[in-house]
Amino acid sequence: MKAFVGVFALALGTVSSVFGVIVLGLGLKKRDERMLELGRRFVFGVLAAAVLAFLAMEWALLSHDFSLEYVYENNARATPLLYTIAGLWANLEGSIILWALVLAGYLAFAARRFRDRSTDPLVAWATLVGLAVALFFFALMLGPANPFKTLSPTPSDGLGPNPLLQNHPLMAIHPPMLYLGYVGFTLPFSFAIAALATGRFGEGWLADIRRATLIAWGFLTVGIILGGWWSYEVLGWGGYWAWDPVENASLLPWLTGTAFIHSVIVQERRGMLRVWNLSLVIATFSLTILGTFLTRSGVLDSVHSFTESPIGPWLLSFLAVVAAVGIGLIAWRGDRLRAPGRIDSPVSRESAFLGNNLIFAALAFVVLLGTVYPLLAEALQGRQLSVGEPYFNRMTTPLGLVLLFLMAVAPALPWRAASGEVLQRRLLVPAWIGGLTMVVALLLGTNGITDSVTFGLAAFALAGIARQMVVGARAQGRANGVAWPAATLRAIRSNPRLYGGLIVHTGIVLIAIALVASSSYSTRREVRLTRDNTVNVSGYSLTYLGSRITDTKQKVTVHARIRVERDGDALGVLTPAISSFPGRTSGIGTPAVKTGIVRDLYLTLVSSPTERERVTVGVQVNSMIVWLWIGGGVVALGTLVALMPSLRRRSQRDPLGADDAEPRVLEGASA
Amino acid sequence: MTEPTPESSQSTGLVRRRRALVAISCCAAAIVAIIVLGVVLSENVLYFQTVSEAVRDRSEQGTDRLRLAGEVVPGSVTETARGVRFEVTDGKTTAEVVHRGDPPDLFEDAATKEIPVVCEGHWGSGEAFASDRILIRHGNEYKPPKVDQDGAEEPK
Repeated sequence: MKAFVGVFALALGTVSSVFGVIVLGLGLKKRDERMLELGRRFVFGVLAAAVLAFLAMEWALLSHDFSLEYVYENNARATPLLYTIAGLWANLEGSIILWALVLAGYLAFAARRFRDRSTDPLVAWATLVGLAVALFFFALMLGPANPFKTLSPTPSDGLGPNPLLQNHPLMAIHPPMLYLGYVGFTLPFSFAIAALATGRFGEGWLADIRRATLIAWGFLTVGIILGGWWSYEVLGWGGYWAWDPVENASLLPWLTGTAFIHSVIVQERRGMLRVWNLSLVIATFSLTILGTFLTRSGVLDSVHSFTESPIGPWLLSFLAVVAAVGIGLIAWRGDRLRAPGRIDSPVSRESAFLGNNLIFAALAFVVLLGTVYPLLAEALQGRQLSVGEPYFNRMTTPLGLVLLFLMAVAPALPWRAASGEVLQRRLLVPAWIGGLTMVVALLLGTNGITDSVTFGLAAFALAGIARQMVVGARAQGRANGVAWPAATLRAIRSNPRLYGGLIVHTGIVLIAIALVASSSYSTRREVRLTRDNTVNVSGYSLTYLGSRITDTKQKVTVHARIRVERDGDALGVLTPAISSFPGRTSGIGTPAVKTGIVRDLYLTLVSSPTERERVTVGVQVNSMIVWLWIGGGVVALGTLVALMPSLRRRSQRDPLGADDAEPRVLEGASA
Repeated sequence: MTEPTPESSQSTGLVRRRRALVAISCCAAAIVAIIVLGVVLSENVLYFQTVSEAVRDRSEQGTDRLRLAGEVVPGSVTETARGVRFEVTDGKTTAEVVHRGDPPDLFEDAATKEIPVVCEGHWGSGEAFASDRILIRHGNEYKPPKVDQDGAEEPK
């Protein structure tokens, strides 16, 4: 029954997208407005199908219907409710249902937002491309990755989700966030293709998808940070990022997407970088598909490779089509893509943006090379290898520092050309603050020059942001005669895009500080403890009080109770644990973390108590980790601010203050 | 929004020379970047070798780090002061591994079962392979990592 509903939904989705593509295609060819209006409606058919498929699978999971192979493999009667619901994205086939649902949601959102412009060829083309992408994913589910495959005879119980996926509640929100980010880049992609197809590659399509891009970017950022948090709280090695292929796969579109949301501003303002922007959008979308291919086809070894499946060739073919269409269209339109503007001075906002984009592109290249190099080497040399973390760290650190510097300087630079006087007024004080911070950091004996430079640049950037906010608020206060809290709010409301961006930058600076602090000032030791025996490690004294075993149907867990004191203050009892799940060979550790503003104490149970009541405990002191998560929150807040409608609705001349909430039809060739 | 800058005939030569300069410095920067990238990449590559391959290439490998793949010989695990000592085999060749740090819990079954492991480390001055990290593949647990006839884990 559920399988029938599910397969029916998949078929409905496939048919709706096929019809949508055909009707829109014919409508565009014949310039028939009625057909374009009709074609748009198929988006809602796709949405209905995706919702139905999602509900069918959740229904099957919640009712533990093991006649479905997917439910059998990713659920058991003893699986708790939360992980039963989250089971939908615990494995490949289910994840594609979520992917299709999110995609259909975005398409319907766009179809509704542009309902008054359904006969506009740009919107029609974008809808057509979006439906074609949806068609691919529905076809994937009908074909090689069918989530509704049945088993006969029906097993009495399922295998349950992978233990790693049923050990922390973050599992319920991290993948959906990531998917909202990944899939969200389909909208900018489809508008970019539409702009190329219609020849309207001016600034109109950028304005149309500004919000969608920001929303996708915000979700992707939060998704990546939640992934790091999950890794920190679950995997038990005390870190949050290991340059694992799956992590890289989420970082790659983030890098090109971030480059895009910056370079868009240059095109809006100066009409430059058109080819570059189109390429970035197409690259971002391609990288989401490449990431899915790398992580889901099993070509790369990864701690995340929960599945191996036959969808690899499908994804690779789809990627090839996307890249070929994108590159082909750009080449075809090349002569008409010449930018009307050019850079006047190397010290200007636009050159800073250009620098930012080059660095982001370089970062993406470095990460991509390190990620796919094992594949290349195996294909060319026939040797299996992996690229070590030092490669990524050594290559990305200097690039990151340049970005931090640009982040401190760029928002203060005027467009076109900067005069020395302006630079001095805007940058002198922040630069002094940054320089002093760097000297103080050096004197205090930070580890190496890189750390001091990071702290200095971070202070430089923060001071610059603070200056800009204060200046803005003061101007509003003077103009309206209000006190500073109201003036700050007014300033933000008057230009949410600018201040939202500055808030995002603040979050990124916090993350940069946390990255350096946690990698340089963390220690790890392993200690063996017998019962009631106390050891001193890294300033903490730890006493092993004994162990406790809890036994539920889901898992059997051994908790080691460890009393923690620091400088005579009791910090409580931490209980790192190891759980074993029925039917699984290896146990899964659960670290115990005492989170603090400056440092975390991170305990892991390395080996469970022996008969002689001896345990081995991993003791890690990690610096400033919590600021990664706080920084992520600040970034999310800034993104929300940037999405607010502006009070200065009509000031379309200034893109930093422009609001594009109202649909407007700009003819592409603005030059 | 933008207007083309009028260029006088005098400044074209200057502009052209400046452009050439920019182009040359970009090329130079790109070449330097590629060399740095190649050097850093090659320094940080970890080869993944079966026990036979690792023993064969031992002399040329020196003390560079590598990942050694094989199965723990059942019953070979003994505890040392700083970790464990055990033997890994790929069916043809067997090597001794000295591991610093506690082994994963899975080693509790090592007396009876052949546990597939990947040890990260380097050949030491003595006979044994000095490992400081043991990876056990999580993968899809219903199909434990396959070991083919040569004993090498199949690439995933």
